[in-house]
Amino acid sequence: MAATDEELVDAFQAGDLSAFDDLLRRWERRIQAAIYRVMGTEDEARDLCQETFLKAYRALGGFKREARFSSWLYQIALNLCRDRMRRRKGRTLVSLDALDEEGLTPPRRQDPSPLDLVEADTLSRAVAAAIEGLPDEQREVIVLKEYQDLTFLEIAEILDVPLSTVKTRLYRGLGQLRLRLERQGIRSAAPVPAPLP
Amino acid sequence: MDCAIVRDEMMEVLYAEATPETARRVEEHLAICVTCRDEMAGLRHLRRDLGAWKVPPLARSAHPGRPRRPSLVPLAAAAGFVLALGAGFALSGSELRFERGVFTLRLGRGADATRELASAEERHRREIDELRAQLASAVRPATESAAADPGTVEQFQALLRESEERQARRLESSLRDLSARTETQRRYDLARVSAGLSYLDGKTGQHVARTTELMGYVLQAAEKK
Ligand SMILES: [Zn+2]
Repeated sequence: MAATDEELVDAFQAGDLSAFDDLLRRWERRIQAAIYRVMGTEDEARDLCQETFLKAYRALGGFKREARFSSWLYQIALNLCRDRMRRRKGRTLVSLDALDEEGLTPPRRQDPSPLDLVEADTLSRAVAAAIEGLPDEQREVIVLKEYQDLTFLEIAEILDVPLSTVKTRLYRGLGQLRLRLERQGIRSAAPVPAPLP
Repeated sequence: MDCAIVRDEMMEVLYAEATPETARRVEEHLAICVTCRDEMAGLRHLRRDLGAWKVPPLARSAHPGRPRRPSLVPLAAAAGFVLALGAGFALSGSELRFERGVFTLRLGRGADATRELASAEERHRREIDELRAQLASAVRPATESAAADPGTVEQFQALLRESEERQARRLESSLRDLSARTETQRRYDLARVSAGLSYLDGKTGQHVARTTELMGYVLQAAEKK
């Protein structure tokens, strides 16, 4: 049976540096995919994923296992994403018509979108664009839940917020996505209901 | 039951994390509340739509016009290499210094690893200089994916500047608290630098900026001996 993450961490902390290779092989793709969905560009996904594992390698010796290893890794990745996002927002010149109606989110892509290059599918593009326009907190939860398939408990641990907050962000995020997709002409089966009292 | 109260529970049902009791409560509410029923149906449909967004294949080593994607797998090997360097650094009598704006590396006897690091640094210095020259004449963008608009070039310059300033600040602070850090930290820093260097086969601004930053770490670590 394969070693658990925790066993590999033990091995690493006991001096077996190669244990990190196993952790990396196990988590690299998932982490990179998560970063890609949060950031929206392949270059940044690759770059920040690298940075995530470098940071993890550097800090793993002092890792205290207050959270599980994977949660800790996601935390590192998300923190790097947030830093990068802040810098991006600080640097980006925002043109008025590029502003999102609700979020006033500046455009996030400098490169031609990887979706332009790789995917031709309209729905896929529409979904990517809708998620890109979400407030950061909602986007993170949507990515972790919908695309990384983590439990509510794991997400709460990663984000260090109460379970109820995770569900609220998810609910709001999904609601936003429905509105945005409908606006782009993607029809959900049921109409978006009026806000609940 | 109140619609607002059942909302969290609907999320649990939607993602199949509800206990049987919760699932039953939600079901009972949906049976009597058309608003929530419609909403639940809409959310299920939305989830199907969301599934359409696929991550492009992230290992794209043969993607034309782009730098080859560096593999992360040799990380531990690379780090091991520099851990060895860290231990051998003092023994070999090698020394890394930052004076008047340039890195110099004094090599001790048998310092192969150190020499490698030095040539890596030299190479990256050269890359930075080339990049500068390119930017100055604004002949062409630094990467194929970055469009040749002046905004990109400016941004790129800002990135370089930013990185260099950060490095200078780091140098200053490292001189101020030479003894504060432990040998372990020093080794980790070196490991990080080495691992970083091994990936730098691309020439984008981010890569170069990070190299500069990483070299700041080398310096810090070396100064701490
Ligand atoms: Zn209801």
